[in-house]
Amino acid sequence: MRELFAKLSRRQAPTENDVDSEILAHIELRMDDNIAAGMTPAEARDEARRHFGNALLTRERIRETWRFPRIDSFVQDLRYGLRGVRRSPGFALAVILTLALGIGATTAIFSVVYNVLLRPLPYPGGERLVRLGEVAGRANGISVTWINYRHWRAENRAFEEMAATEQADFTMTGRGEAQITHGAMVTPSFFRITSAQPQLGRLFTDADDQVGAPGVAVLTWEFWNKTFAADPASLGATLVLNGNPYQVIGVLRPAARVLMSRADYYVPIGPVVGRKISRAAHGSIGVIGLLKPGVTLSAARANLNEIMQRLALSDPGPESSHRASAAFLTESIVGDVRQTLLMLMAAVALLLLIACANVSGLLLVRGAARTREIAIRTSIGAGRARVARQLLTENLALSLFGGGLGVLIAFGCLRALIALAPTSLPRLSEMALDLPVLGFAAAVTIGTAALAGLVPVLAAGRLDVASALRDGAVGSGSAIRGQRLRGALVIGEIAVTLLLSYASAGLIRSLIAAQHADPGFDSHDLLALGLQVSLAEYKTSDQVRQFYVTLTDALRRQPGIFDVALVTCPPGAGDCGDWWYSPLDRTVLARADVPVTLFLAADVSYFRTMGIRLLAGREFGPGDRAGSPLVTIVNQDLARRWWPSPQAAIGQRIKFGGPYNEGGVVEIVGVAANVSQMGLDGEKPPQMFFPWAQDGAFPAFLNSASVMMRTKGNPAALIPAVRRTLSSLNRDLPIRSLKPFDEQLGATLARRRFSTLLLGVFATLAMALAGVGIYGVLNYWVSVRNREIAVRMALGARRPTILRWAGWQALRLAFAGIALGAAGGWSAARLLKSMVYGVSERSPITMLLAIVVVLAIVALAAGLPVWRATRVDVSRNLREA
Amino acid sequence: MSTVDHPSERLEFLQGTLEVLILRCLQRASNHAYGISQLLTQQSDNEFAVDNGSLYPALQRLLQRGWIDAAWKVSPNGRRARYYKLTASGKRQLAVATSKWRRFAEAMARVLAPEE
Repeated sequence: MRELFAKLSRRQAPTENDVDSEILAHIELRMDDNIAAGMTPAEARDEARRHFGNALLTRERIRETWRFPRIDSFVQDLRYGLRGVRRSPGFALAVILTLALGIGATTAIFSVVYNVLLRPLPYPGGERLVRLGEVAGRANGISVTWINYRHWRAENRAFEEMAATEQADFTMTGRGEAQITHGAMVTPSFFRITSAQPQLGRLFTDADDQVGAPGVAVLTWEFWNKTFAADPASLGATLVLNGNPYQVIGVLRPAARVLMSRADYYVPIGPVVGRKISRAAHGSIGVIGLLKPGVTLSAARANLNEIMQRLALSDPGPESSHRASAAFLTESIVGDVRQTLLMLMAAVALLLLIACANVSGLLLVRGAARTREIAIRTSIGAGRARVARQLLTENLALSLFGGGLGVLIAFGCLRALIALAPTSLPRLSEMALDLPVLGFAAAVTIGTAALAGLVPVLAAGRLDVASALRDGAVGSGSAIRGQRLRGALVIGEIAVTLLLSYASAGLIRSLIAAQHADPGFDSHDLLALGLQVSLAEYKTSDQVRQFYVTLTDALRRQPGIFDVALVTCPPGAGDCGDWWYSPLDRTVLARADVPVTLFLAADVSYFRTMGIRLLAGREFGPGDRAGSPLVTIVNQDLARRWWPSPQAAIGQRIKFGGPYNEGGVVEIVGVAANVSQMGLDGEKPPQMFFPWAQDGAFPAFLNSASVMMRTKGNPAALIPAVRRTLSSLNRDLPIRSLKPFDEQLGATLARRRFSTLLLGVFATLAMALAGVGIYGVLNYWVSVRNREIAVRMALGARRPTILRWAGWQALRLAFAGIALGAAGGWSAARLLKSMVYGVSERSPITMLLAIVVVLAIVALAAGLPVWRATRVDVSRNLREA
Repeated sequence: MSTVDHPSERLEFLQGTLEVLILRCLQRASNHAYGISQLLTQQSDNEFAVDNGSLYPALQRLLQRGWIDAAWKVSPNGRRARYYKLTASGKRQLAVATSKWRRFAEAMARVLAPEE
């Protein structure tokens, strides 16, 4: 330690006093010599001063040497590097473009990853926000009942604050055409959790959140601008939602939103749900909690479960076994996008790696050309570290250009990404190239410079100065040694390219398979009309039913429409409601084993109109109405789980709701083929259909439904006629969607298309970069061997021989790279498992496809250099030798 | 050769050479800046022009690399002066640089040798 200290202090700058005394001593010593040589003291002093020269300048230069020595030499290196760049613009351009591509693509993807996975939520304490729900046995993520929420909020010790929320779409009338608007029903605490502030007016108070309180609404800033033209006088105006008046009491300040991001306005939830007093009366309430600092998730869960256990004793009911679930909001928002994003990030990192290898290769070639220059610099006293620093600085200068251009590319890419991305991607609107992302770009740039520069610098470090100075032309020992390194880089590039091609080919085959997947019905020539009728206008479910029946009758009379059907949840729409069920012919299941099924209502013509095959039994008929025996049609998946054949399922009875929850007993009258309920590439889970006209097993939510129309010819041509028919029945009914069903179903593949497209782009870029790399290396290989080839040809080698020899060089690299990439792709394939559809993640055909494509790229890139090898001018090369 | 050097002009130092020469001057004994400049001028038969504006910064660079040490001492004729002396790593550096320069000079000489 003391030694180190001494060493450091020894390297300290001399003080001003030291410098002055030293210069003075210098002059005096000269004076002494002069006097000894016979001068008078005055002459001696004058001569000594003259001889010393400019003392002021010397003093200044001494001080300069000690001032930021490193920065000084850095600037010197930089200037030197830039001069080098100007001398070989082709090389510089190749390096900068390669880096810009790699850094740009990586930065763009990172900004998506950062926004979706990493960026803190735009709420204070966002990392402590928790999404709460109820769990029961296998059923997860059950909505919280209003009463349970009230108990949780009042009795917990783990949360600072808790809020209940529910999304609700309301039909807004009285402002031009009727339209569907997105409302958010929340408790006043929601604004505290999200720290929302009013721009105008006020937010809710507890008094607004009571049953019977007059309707009030707080508008989002966006909705206020869009619908009220940002008019300050809109405070106090009335919104008519589902026929009920709500007074506008406030407008929120503009702010980033993650919770309730689609909401146009907020209304208090209490007046809507506050009448429910059963602990088992579920709506769609979601609960958000803000954990107290230092409280863990499991402690919070345990605390809520204590409350649930207490309630099970004091207020027992069918749901006494329900417990609480809790998950951090940051995680629950991301959901299943994580896998896709991480895959894309890995792919783009591989792309960056290829770019690095390419730049390394370019630098190596240039390094070989500069061997003599470096040797001279080393021999005139530049230390090895100094030379290494010099080379690194040059690389850094190139990388900075590359990085700068890369950020511009990333900016363009990001805008394209946002335009292309499926709307289901969370937090899309927040995406921008902001500080953390730019920091990432800078780090990647510097990292790339270091990584790409490492190999050439190490190669230069081992440089044998004497032989480099002695050897004349390029093509001597050291150049050939570098060739091996460059070969290794190319092998790595080919391997990584194959990896990306394999993954990309797997996804492309999956997309094709998904697009041609049998949806279980005929999706062509089908027009779908999505509607939501206002419950204020149609107060009973009979009125709702009657409206839809009148509509379908009117549409059926329309020329060009063969058949019309009603369904609450068409294929591709996903989960519009699920509930427990249990077959009555089984022993009573344990609570945790009760299975869950999707359920929906369909009318008599649904299966016929859609072309869904019935495997057994019958369709719904006019006899399945209120008062007749309760019936259901189940899908194949549900039937297969319990009975050996579809026929065996007919006549069996199911307790809807299972043994422990409400719901009627229904008889199976038909088994229908599976349809793509969860989207074209989704699973086909159990489903139960109930007759449209029967209000038996469970209160059906019929107000939101789809009218499916089988058309003659192009379904889009009928859209105006359908609009006319609808408005002749009800002018104030907004259309939720009206499009050919093929289009609607195809939209379920949006995310798959997005990730396939991106990975395809990366694989293509990788191929282009690898192609350039292969070309560069082989081209150099040929130039280095011009003389050798000339000698061989002079000794009688024919062109085919040379062709084979040079071609073998390319093939050797290709085979090594392909072997490596294939092995890597095969073992990493399980990472693709959740992303492929209809093909195996380990498919020899996919691998073969990828290998063929990579070989084609190698052939393309190697063609020109190999051809050049056969065209070497024998006489000129031999004369020069 | 088409142009001929003017022998009356003193030689400028190539970059890096002055440092090596300073190390060489200090090989036998420690010395002060004035002594070093005198030694260089004498030993090169007045060929090298030792400019104090270069000598002092070169000394600082050697100090920074830890190849020499500085300390105040009294000279034989009773003047207080700053004496420089080689460190162990300075000695190693001198050996390396000497061998390099010898090869460099030989290589230069071979290349520049009049053609037969």
